Amino acid sequence: MLRTIIVRCLLAIALWWILSEGRIDSWGIGAITVVSAVIISLRFLPASTVPVSLAGLVAFICLFVWNSVRGGIQVALAAFEGRTALRPGILEMRLKLPPGGGRILLVNTLGLMPGTLGVELDDDRLRLHVLDERLPIAEEAREIERAIGRVFKVTQ
Amino acid sequence: MLSTASTLLLCVGGFFYLAGTVGLLRFPDVYCRLHALAKADNLGLGCILLALALQAPNLEAALKLLLIWPLVLAASAGVSYAIARRADVLGVKPWRGGKP
Repeated sequence: MLRTIIVRCLLAIALWWILSEGRIDSWGIGAITVVSAVIISLRFLPASTVPVSLAGLVAFICLFVWNSVRGGIQVALAAFEGRTALRPGILEMRLKLPPGGGRILLVNTLGLMPGTLGVELDDDRLRLHVLDERLPIAEEAREIERAIGRVFKVTQ
Repeated sequence: MLSTASTLLLCVGGFFYLAGTVGLLRFPDVYCRLHALAKADNLGLGCILLALALQAPNLEAALKLLLIWPLVLAASAGVSYAIARRADVLGVKPWRGGKP
């Protein structure tokens, strides 16, 4: 509990420092804002519910940035090539992540990853629209799911 | 050196925005167009923000610019899912290249 409060205070202070662009005279309001933000965050996201692994998070962010670059290049090439580059289809997968933040993060992440777009999340079934069925999309989606599982310390 | 890198990144970012718009105009259905917009603009924005952060007067201003990226990504991902889901609920069938 105490650890969570300290971590969130530090995050809020860093955020205020960035938003105020380091101005010293803004710290009066800043202090009030930081304290309120931490109190509100503890109400909506109690300390015990989200054990996040820092190493997992860093790994996830690296995977995310790398895949963003791949996805952007892929879709840009397809855009200039036209319809012949597309072979769209619907892919259904059963999620292994438990309900909650992890699943929502997965659906949103897949919308930005190469060739996948979440269409419907119903309980543990996720339907994806894929831009090119010929690519190994299912495996890549599983890889993202595993990475998110490691962030939230889910054993799979 | 820094300004060269910044200019290069701005051009790359602009290219991806252009590609996203070309995709929006050329792709056959709502789902494919969402792919084009979400992914190309995501990368385009990342490049442009990185380019601007390189030119920022201090570290705080640079971080502030970079902070825009995850916020826009969250909005863009959420909106894409919402539009795709609504289209699916309304019974819009994905384009299959003239095949049934």
